[in-house]
Amino acid sequence: MATSTYLSNPGVLVNTVSLTDQCTSATVTNTAEALESTAFGGTSRVFVSGLFNQEITLDLYMSYAATETYATLAALVGTTTTVKVSNTVGGLTAPSATEPRFELVGAYLEALPVINATMGELSTISITFKGGVLTTVTA
Amino acid sequence: MIYQIVSPRLGTPGDIYKPEAGVNVEALLLHGFIVEDKAPPKSAKTKPTEKG
Repeated sequence: MATSTYLSNPGVLVNTVSLTDQCTSATVTNTAEALESTAFGGTSRVFVSGLFNQEITLDLYMSYAATETYATLAALVGTTTTVKVSNTVGGLTAPSATEPRFELVGAYLEALPVINATMGELSTISITFKGGVLTTVTA
Repeated sequence: MIYQIVSPRLGTPGDIYKPEAGVNVEALLLHGFIVEDKAPPKSAKTKPTEKG
């Protein structure tokens, strides 16, 4: 039984800007789209790999202060950039087998919630970078 | 073009910023994360011309 419990370690860079102290959740998904190749005579569905389709989803505290969340992301909507995530902050600069750095180059930011206001709560947003080429760096 | 780091979110302020491939430099400039390093260019060394 192996588990990973994250308390405060992961690190996040968006467009080379560290948003680690604003981030509460990061999910990197490596998807190879399934193309069905089932043919007559088959009794079970069969799939082959299609295009790779990567995604990185981040949950962040929203801040409009200088060089914080909004300033980092506002100009990226509709453009591509590089997003890096590691299970440790150290893995961002010195990755290893146990501290891999996942880099999505050419990641497209389609949408940015510019305000998410609720009485009595810290403002948070969820953003998703789509597409690009995912690389796993371990050295 | 040479850039200088302003925000500690990128590194040490004052250090030279070398953008990696795929980084949106315009977004960093627009929101003040970096600035263009406007060091004065070196003066051109020209030989004095002789007038006859």
